[in-house]
Amino acid sequence: MSFLFGRRPRASTVDLPKQAKELIVKLDGPAGPAKAEELAKTLSQMKFVLQGTQETESSPEQVYSLVTGLIQEDLLYLLAVNLPRLPFESRKDAQVIFSYVLRFRPHTASPKSEPLALSYVINNRPEVLVELCNGYDHKESSTAAGTVLREVLKSDTAAAIILYDDPSENGPGPKGISGINPELKQSGNGVFWKFFKWVDSEPFEVGADAFTTFRELLTRHKQLVAQYLSTNFDLFFDKYNNVLIKSDSYVTKRQSIKLLGEILLDRANYTVMTAYVDRGEHLKICMNLLRDERKMVQYEGFHVFKVFVANPHKSIAVQKILLINRERLLIFLKHFLEDRTEDEQFMDEREFLIKQIKNMPPTPVEPAQKPALLASQSR
Amino acid sequence: MTAEGAMANQYSVLEELGSGSFGTVYKAIDRSTGEVVAIKHIDLESSEDDILEIQQEIAVLSTCASPFVTQYKASFLRGHKLWIVMEYLGGGSCLDLLKPGNFNEAHIAVICRELLLGLEYLHQEGKIHRDVKAANVLLSSTGKVKLADFGVAAQLTNIKSQRNTFVGTPFWMAPEVIQQEGYDYKADIWSLGITAMELANGEPPNASIHPMKVLFHIPKQPAPRLEGSKFSKDFKDFVAQCLVKDSDRRASAKELLKHRFIRSAGKVEALQELIERKQEWEGGRTRPSHPRFYEETLNTLSHKVEPEEWVFDTVKAATVAPRKGTTKRRKLSVIHANGQSVSAGPEEAMKRLDLKDSPLDYSSPPPLTVKKSTVRKQPSIMQLASPTKTRQPSSQKKPLQPDMNFGNTGSTVRLFRRVSDNSTLAQVDSDVSNASITRDENRPPMSETASKESVLGRRVFNKVVDPAFQEIHAQTGNQAKREALSRLADAWSALDAIDPDGEYQLLKAMLEKVQGDPKLSSLLSPAKSLSRDGTPQPSLQKSPTKLVLAQNNPHLKSHRRRQTSMAPDGEYREKLANLPGQAITGMEHTKQLADVLYGRWADGLRNRWPAV
Repeated sequence: MSFLFGRRPRASTVDLPKQAKELIVKLDGPAGPAKAEELAKTLSQMKFVLQGTQETESSPEQVYSLVTGLIQEDLLYLLAVNLPRLPFESRKDAQVIFSYVLRFRPHTASPKSEPLALSYVINNRPEVLVELCNGYDHKESSTAAGTVLREVLKSDTAAAIILYDDPSENGPGPKGISGINPELKQSGNGVFWKFFKWVDSEPFEVGADAFTTFRELLTRHKQLVAQYLSTNFDLFFDKYNNVLIKSDSYVTKRQSIKLLGEILLDRANYTVMTAYVDRGEHLKICMNLLRDERKMVQYEGFHVFKVFVANPHKSIAVQKILLINRERLLIFLKHFLEDRTEDEQFMDEREFLIKQIKNMPPTPVEPAQKPALLASQSR
Repeated sequence: MTAEGAMANQYSVLEELGSGSFGTVYKAIDRSTGEVVAIKHIDLESSEDDILEIQQEIAVLSTCASPFVTQYKASFLRGHKLWIVMEYLGGGSCLDLLKPGNFNEAHIAVICRELLLGLEYLHQEGKIHRDVKAANVLLSSTGKVKLADFGVAAQLTNIKSQRNTFVGTPFWMAPEVIQQEGYDYKADIWSLGITAMELANGEPPNASIHPMKVLFHIPKQPAPRLEGSKFSKDFKDFVAQCLVKDSDRRASAKELLKHRFIRSAGKVEALQELIERKQEWEGGRTRPSHPRFYEETLNTLSHKVEPEEWVFDTVKAATVAPRKGTTKRRKLSVIHANGQSVSAGPEEAMKRLDLKDSPLDYSSPPPLTVKKSTVRKQPSIMQLASPTKTRQPSSQKKPLQPDMNFGNTGSTVRLFRRVSDNSTLAQVDSDVSNASITRDENRPPMSETASKESVLGRRVFNKVVDPAFQEIHAQTGNQAKREALSRLADAWSALDAIDPDGEYQLLKAMLEKVQGDPKLSSLLSPAKSLSRDGTPQPSLQKSPTKLVLAQNNPHLKSHRRRQTSMAPDGEYREKLANLPGQAITGMEHTKQLADVLYGRWADGLRNRWPAV
């Protein structure tokens, strides 16, 4: 076999994308299994062209021609769509191919410029990123897709593509980066919103991988996310509270409460935080978490609860809830996770919360300042 | 996840096989196929921040499919337990099989060949195992050899790229891993050579040396060689080929498969002899105990668990040594059908014991004390204010004398790695119980540390003196110098135990003298270090059970990075420094959430006003 590769190295590099495309299209046909086998060989050959082997270095010219060939044949999209159907080893090869291609810059390009293929995807073929996300629909493809996604999400434009994907308009699906209007509210049909389902999926590695990507999307590019959450506040937190925080899955629940705390306490999300802690129903959810039977859930819940109580401009609704429960809360907090004696920060904060609740005026007082976000909306 | 439990119900769990690095491993039967599997149960409720790490291990595992690597099958949640289903290997680990006696050359040749095939697969996948040793080599009952325990395996994204992370188990570590000069898959070949020697001699080379010292030893000394007339020339040469200090000149798995020692190896079935030998050997001894059966309790109310177990020091199921004859014996893990599992019983008691009682008892640490601790990195405004966790007045502990049970038992590596992962913060809280006494203003201070000076003295020791000693000690290579330093540290620690007040005065005087001298004060600039006091500072503290890492250790670096990224931006901190309550040295922790939140609100206002 190897003598075959040896005889036609250069010619085949150019042909590889085309060859792969023809095979992928026929995966569903009667000769599917045979095509899959051939495809596996083609993909592993591509991998070797891109990363070289232990014996030979890869050549920049060959890599360049392969990358442009992949773009021309739209193979990145086809690979993303068909990722779960590839054979076991090929999925890993596909992952390597994606990572290399989306990172590749011609050596003449400035190291700060957007990689060639990534720039193409962002501007012309955003469906590739959407389909990579859809990899979470199958346990076969989730790890490979997730690995590629997290690599790609280092680019804020790529993150924006995923966040703002919104196929609800009769338009042709995701728009390139130029088609994004951050002021426009999301319908909730975009690919980002599917993560709320994916993070909760079985088996464990699928859900956990999806959560890692979800978290990356929400924490990496702060300005982008702050704007996104402000615009889509209601939709986002409605889903977040009802799907993630109330999830039956221990891991989803615990991780999402923790992530909520991180999001709220991020300075970039200041306006989002003030709006969040303004609502009585958010406080109720949070107080229920304190009473969960699992200690780590209680603990994560506490770190959200503290934000409500520490808020010097509590809304009337929040004050009411706290005042009705004042005595109960004081007793409860006194013994809340009281064995956590080694956690200085926690004990200080708990102490502080007790003091704050104790010192609240007996009747709700109109807050001196209202959250800027959603100030115009009825609450 | 309504289907939760459905996947779990697919398995009937039988007896306990042992305690792995993360949790307890059970034998089980897949009801749909009748296949015997091994299931690892990991209690997530007792781990603070580990879910991501576990996930990474699973990601590496699930992308491996080789007859020479233990096969991953599935993983799912059941309540707050994670179940990881793996292929069951009835022959046990090579370390277990070594108990009746050393292996002969023919057996070793077969094992090495199979391991090379496994490594060849992993390496071409861009994976490095990083912890090849007899304990991680499992045999099926028919003699098939499989690499196991991917707790520290690394995924290289590029076959040619290198890793820089310091993991493994000291005796088996390649020199380039210890020296952190970047290593690749060749590191596994070195470990294979050491493993071959382990199988032949019953222990790895340098086994009598303290694991800490071994770390200095391996890069300096010539590579170990297999010696003795009982070994063939081929075997000796094979080991020598693996143990080439220069990794570039070390053979690859592919090359070694062509070695004469390997080519002449026999069939794997021959290894059944090793398994039979072990069974006979065990038969000759009184059976130590009944097998521990997995027990599923139906519908028990989740009782209140003492939360100490997950407070800060998460004691994972023993990773280091079997806890024979301890309370663990009678432990039956209890999983409730409703998914709210409570692993009640003696193990919890052990953990509690360990946390509450044993911090005072460093001189005789049970194997358990080499443990992982996670520190909560809670995003908090309080973080700005609360000082770094200080250590307890360390009268009871012996500084600079790590007592680690790194060795030929269990998977110590993970601990190894974790300690370095979490670095100092993790180490610090193993002794918090006392620290809190000295630092919590709401509690009556201990009688002998009543004065403010003595509180500060303790603080001086915990935050300045001790870490400084640890750091310098870790950097000192010369044995004589290390010992001298050790003695000084002991002496200072004695002072700390008896007279923290005086300790404080001493340091104060020293600092004043330094500041008095213009040259020294400009050079040493103590003011700078004081101003950094409020940030979590990754100083190189260690408790005796933990490994100190070199200053340039990448783990530490990344830890520092993490720490700094957690810390607020400098400008903000400066603002805080001006707030009331901040200025009192040693009392930073009294700063309250309110100040910080208020500052944040003010900040937000300021940001928005220009726009309005």
